[in-house]
Amino acid sequence: MKVPAEKKMEMLRSMLLTRAFEDALQVLCQIQGKIPGMMILCTGQEAVASGVCAALQNEDFIISNHRSHGHLLAKGADPKALMAEIYGKRTGCNKGKSGTLHLAVPEVNAPCTTTVVGGGLPISVGVAFAQKYRKESAVTVCLFGDGAADEGSFHESLNLASLWQLPVLFVCENNLYAGAQRFEEHTRVKSIADRAAGYPMPGVVVDGNDAPAVYTATLRARETAANGGGPTLLECRTYRCRGHGEADPQHYQPKEEIALWKQRCPILKLEKEMLQKGILSAEELEKLREDSRKAVQEAVRFAEESPWPDVAEAFQDVYVSDL
Amino acid sequence: MPRKPIDIPCRVDHLSILSEDGEVDREMEPELSEELLLRMYRTMLLCRRFDERMLTLQRQGRIGTFAPIKGQEAQIGAVVPLEPEDWIAPSFREMPAEVWRGKSLESVLLTYAGYNEGGKIPEGLNNLPIAIPVGSQILHAVGIAYGMKYRRKRHVAMAFFGDGGTSEGDFHEALNFAGVFQVPAVFVCQNNQWAISVPRSRQTRSRTLAQKAVAYEIPGVQVDGNDILAVYVAVKEAVERARAGEGPTFIENVTYRMSVHTTADDPKKYRRDEEVEPWIARDPITRFEKYLLKKGLLTDQKVASVDEEVTREVREAEQRWALQVEEGIDPMGMFDHAYEDLPPHILVQRDELRRELEEKSSQRG
Repeated sequence: MKVPAEKKMEMLRSMLLTRAFEDALQVLCQIQGKIPGMMILCTGQEAVASGVCAALQNEDFIISNHRSHGHLLAKGADPKALMAEIYGKRTGCNKGKSGTLHLAVPEVNAPCTTTVVGGGLPISVGVAFAQKYRKESAVTVCLFGDGAADEGSFHESLNLASLWQLPVLFVCENNLYAGAQRFEEHTRVKSIADRAAGYPMPGVVVDGNDAPAVYTATLRARETAANGGGPTLLECRTYRCRGHGEADPQHYQPKEEIALWKQRCPILKLEKEMLQKGILSAEELEKLREDSRKAVQEAVRFAEESPWPDVAEAFQDVYVSDL
Repeated sequence: MPRKPIDIPCRVDHLSILSEDGEVDREMEPELSEELLLRMYRTMLLCRRFDERMLTLQRQGRIGTFAPIKGQEAQIGAVVPLEPEDWIAPSFREMPAEVWRGKSLESVLLTYAGYNEGGKIPEGLNNLPIAIPVGSQILHAVGIAYGMKYRRKRHVAMAFFGDGGTSEGDFHEALNFAGVFQVPAVFVCQNNQWAISVPRSRQTRSRTLAQKAVAYEIPGVQVDGNDILAVYVAVKEAVERARAGEGPTFIENVTYRMSVHTTADDPKKYRRDEEVEPWIARDPITRFEKYLLKKGLLTDQKVASVDEEVTREVREAEQRWALQVEEGIDPMGMFDHAYEDLPPHILVQRDELRRELEEKSSQRG
């Protein structure tokens, strides 16, 4: 299947934005100490988020996890509101209450990012059930890691989704590490997609550093799901180039392995492909990079200039009615 | 973009040795001694008669809720290959397996009459207490098997669970762990077609339960679960693999729950009698009986005398149980071991029961 040039452009743009956004976060968090707490980045995995989201419609839902920045930006979240939220400012998309780990952007149908490993899977089944029940044409995508695929919630979710033929895509972002545990140390099958056989549903493996490949596979699975053909388990093989969180020194990841995967950078890969095919010029690329840097600078400025929430707001939006 | 099938080491066999008429597949027939075959038959019949008697005792209000095992007696084939040092982690429908392993009928009655003593594991008997939360015991068996491997013992742990159990997250986590660490565990799924009122078809969309083994890269096999010889052969292979350090196996025994889910259930509300009928012909006991008759190990007379014997054994166990309750067991024990300090409302109940028991004993004089 041929991926249209404008789709490639869309994916490149969102990958560049994500990379610039997270490069800035890394400095703000680790070097300048402006953002306290845990910081989880998706450097090297951008093609999964961008490839998946480029294949979705606005009305489709995504349920994300602790490594969510790429997913949310690719789904169309406003970088300013996201950055302000990560700072904990009142102008953030969740009024400063969620920080980086619990971001939610309902405006782009990303209602939940959960840090509970595997916690998003049953939620996505619930959303997809609602879509089917209401006879909507939209689908739900759940993004989770290789570690989550060993959780009981994965099994229960895939079983029900297959049984009820729900419009849901299970996208396993296999970055080869669950915390400090290597994939082979926590899973015996060679591929998470093999697990599809037990429910059963189609299981597909795709190069997760190849955005157009992720896009094509997602598009196909989305079409199946939207037409009542049920769920798909899509495994995107990628690599976590940074630590689990920014405080993780990565002593368990071989240096050569990291270096190898840095060469396989999904952004460089797509840039190269587009330059070679002549659908992108060097000047246009420079402009794209500049645009994303500017968007991030603007987001940081917006966040820095925004007010902190008032202490009195601490209990607002926590419960439907006051206790 | 390449899209190519992945070569998965996956094969799911169906195993059956005895036909409904008791005809045996000569090539597959296991070599078992006459004594062992007759003991298997006798235990199946004993458990059937005991099950029937328990149903009566429950209806009389002498024991509480329990889960009848009628039609699932071929599970005994799964525990025949085990050694006493091996462990089993049963659910609430494995009375025959427990009895084969040495659990006394009176302790089963004690359990269902609500006495702590029924759950006590006698020294040297490696049966875990029955697990009521669906699927929880699969994890326990994996823990024991992990311990066996860690201590370099040659013993195995066997988990029993139902078709409903395979939909639990615990099943997934247990089989994944067992597969990764290659522990000596045997997973025996008693697929009796019903998880209370949920039929197998609404439990999972997969054609077999055995194929779920693929997700953990462990062997999976589907077995005629009403054929005690097939169950024995499949489990023996699995146990031998586990002992040899070759990891776990998942076995799906296709059987049928001929009776109620528990005594608190009425299946007429959700299944038609016509569905049960074909399974009467597949009854594991009559099938095995036909095989033994053909083999000349049983005669009609012997069948009748075994039946008499086991019926007597049930009656005697019931008498011993009644005596034990009468003489030795203090019902006040139910308040022990749950709280360090009893909460006020439980204290009230305890005092109420004590008064009642005292009144009763003074009336008896």
